[in-house]
Amino acid sequence: MWLGNRKGATRRVVAVGLAGVLLLGACSSSGGSSSGSTDKALLIARSMDINSLDPSRAYCDTCQIYMTAVYETLIGLAKDNTTLVPRLATKWEGNAAQTEFTFTLNPKAKFSDGTPVTSADVKFSWERLQGLQASSSYLVSTIKSIDTPDAQTVKVTLSQANSAFLAQVNASYLGIMNSKVAIAQGATIDPKTDKAEPWFLANSAGSGPFTLEKYQSGAELRLKRNDSYWGTKANFPEVVMKQTADAVTQRQQLEAGSVDIAMQISNDAAKGMNGNGVVVSQVPSFNFVYLALSPGAKGGEKLTPKVRQAIRLALDYKGLIDATVGGAGQVQPSPIPNGFAGTAGLAAPAQDVAKAKSLLAEEGVTDLTLDATFPSLNVYGVDFTTAMQKVQTDLKAVGITLQLNPVEISVWADKIGKDGIPVTMLYFAPDHTDSSQYVQYFGLLKGSQWQTWARTDVSQTQTDLLTKAFAEQDATKRADVYKQLAESMVADDVIIPVVNPNLFLAARSDIKGLYYSACCNLIISDLSRG
Amino acid sequence: MTDVISPPRRLRRGRPEWLRGPALIGVVVIAVWVLVALTVPLWSPYDPLAGVAPRLQGPNWHHLMGTDQLGRDVFTRMLWGSRTSLPVAFVVIVSSVIIGTVVGAVAGYRGGWIDAVLMRFVDITMAFPPILLAMAITASLGPGVRNALIAMVLVWWPIYARLLRAQVIAVKQREYVESAEAIGVKRFTILRRYILPMAYTPVLVNATMDFGQVVLLTASLSFIGLGARPPSPEWGAMITEGATQFYSWWIATAPGLAILLVVLAFNYVGDALRDSFDVKGVV
Repeated sequence: MWLGNRKGATRRVVAVGLAGVLLLGACSSSGGSSSGSTDKALLIARSMDINSLDPSRAYCDTCQIYMTAVYETLIGLAKDNTTLVPRLATKWEGNAAQTEFTFTLNPKAKFSDGTPVTSADVKFSWERLQGLQASSSYLVSTIKSIDTPDAQTVKVTLSQANSAFLAQVNASYLGIMNSKVAIAQGATIDPKTDKAEPWFLANSAGSGPFTLEKYQSGAELRLKRNDSYWGTKANFPEVVMKQTADAVTQRQQLEAGSVDIAMQISNDAAKGMNGNGVVVSQVPSFNFVYLALSPGAKGGEKLTPKVRQAIRLALDYKGLIDATVGGAGQVQPSPIPNGFAGTAGLAAPAQDVAKAKSLLAEEGVTDLTLDATFPSLNVYGVDFTTAMQKVQTDLKAVGITLQLNPVEISVWADKIGKDGIPVTMLYFAPDHTDSSQYVQYFGLLKGSQWQTWARTDVSQTQTDLLTKAFAEQDATKRADVYKQLAESMVADDVIIPVVNPNLFLAARSDIKGLYYSACCNLIISDLSRG
Repeated sequence: MTDVISPPRRLRRGRPEWLRGPALIGVVVIAVWVLVALTVPLWSPYDPLAGVAPRLQGPNWHHLMGTDQLGRDVFTRMLWGSRTSLPVAFVVIVSSVIIGTVVGAVAGYRGGWIDAVLMRFVDITMAFPPILLAMAITASLGPGVRNALIAMVLVWWPIYARLLRAQVIAVKQREYVESAEAIGVKRFTILRRYILPMAYTPVLVNATMDFGQVVLLTASLSFIGLGARPPSPEWGAMITEGATQFYSWWIATAPGLAILLVVLAFNYVGDALRDSFDVKGVV
């Protein structure tokens, strides 16, 4: 889902899927081998949140799937969701200070038009991502320069130590495009002169196992197998992602056999689904839905630290999980989701109505009414309207009235960019495997997404801690720093995670190799039928 | 279409002639819902906004129409929904009739360029499907019951303006009206005392039939998120919640039944009134 340009008035938020490895049924031992190839297209039911198909502008759940299928990254991620594996690059190394990284490209790698993938393509792709200042540009914010001593070597110099850089390179948004083709279609690294986005909505210029065949906004995304793919070819000749808004319709289509995979089945819709040729599984995920408090927003002036803390203490977290996903989820202590570095040992949030009332009394707040405009969405099985009604009920018990105002996502994005919103709800799923992304997005760093939206003061403590984390190469010590960051973000009470829902994957029983990838959501080329 | 207005039938003592069969059922249903809307705060089974039981329970003795995703009693919310739908429909119809009557009377009686201007405006408004126009107006004003109400009035009054104008044109050609004009009775007096009493019946009959349609339109606007705000127990909004919990069929069924009953009741009554007042060719 998109929510805006990082530096624009309107910004786009994300949610990208990341969860632990899930196998539906028996995964094929060969993973993405072509042994089980079939001539039948793979049909996927999904509520698509595509903001763009331009590799330097795309930023959404569906974009991750598309980018992974069409544009390859230098580094891939193994199914264990932790091990980095070669993709376009055969090897890579960083200096001791973590300020310089060198990548060696696979000489066999070529784009779908047969052109070899070179260091110039990497340089152009990353410089364009940096230059266009799109939502995913933060991933390359530490790049100072990119040198290309030869066609197969890429040397990246960073502006600061960044031990998370390799994880960031693994993010699907750092996929490589054919620079010659892109430039011929008007692509530049300057947002004022770049004109390639319309072309990318109908064409692709990647080296991945699929190419873009057709995209109809609100209807379908159609991919075609790249038959000249330089690696192991995909099993399916065609993949059609059908726009299917809700979990109920997705279930009906899956049960009727009109799709092979339903990607957004909710806990309630999943009940009684197993059997009759359909397999459903659930696993814990790293996705989460959060409440955001913006003291700097118009109408949010009374959201002082104590009032924000009172709101955090007033929430019935278990009740929220029950109300939204029927108990199929976990509480999440901090904006860094459970399982990421720095989250071990964090105290789970707990409801304390008496203390919440006491804090409000100390602050002299009585009968506080707050605007709660939120996007009318249903994400990861969580209906935002339901969740916000539960939040409203909890806050009413401590004397805070929320005026719920569900709106279209575009209206919401416009409002939060213009005036800010005192209380709202949103969702997030990671772009890569390092905890730094959460600090860069939710932390009160200068210019971070939520520092901008919440209109708060910059936290120098968090800024310094992130610099320290980037410089720290020892994983254990880095986790300690991230834990301090997590605790600091909890103490801000700007981002309050309310539910970390389990993930449901539903597919026809003959679909093999289905799992959620930490970097890429769904890897279509790993799927087969058999 | 006839341009002859039959005088109202003399009503016998006791039950009116039209109040039989389906119309009687309709009146009873309407009366029950009005009573519910007026008194439900006094005897409501549960708090319509509070979770009172485990979520998504099917219908049972404690919760006749089950519970929703927040554990709220669906039957209670359905009853409270009448406190939104019925007053909104009443205000929309009354406001529309008043505006439409004034515009239609002036246009029909004065004629000429005033008539042409007013009727072209009416034509333009009526050129759009009501639901689309109401959606567009509500979307521009912002979601909420008040704005939905304003939108519906803006959509509905032209119907009555056109209807009344046709009646006024027919009545004003009668001899007694011409006589009144000849002896110098003021125009406003003629319109008020000699024309409107003979022209209003089709409007009232139509308004009765439209009542159900407005209930439906209110629910439709709420269903698409332009009407009542959560957690208000409005019927259309409740159906939206039910749609996301499709396999918990009772959540949408209860408000759906309420809408069905109210719309059907008003249609029965409207049909009976139309037949009774013999305005079939007009309405």
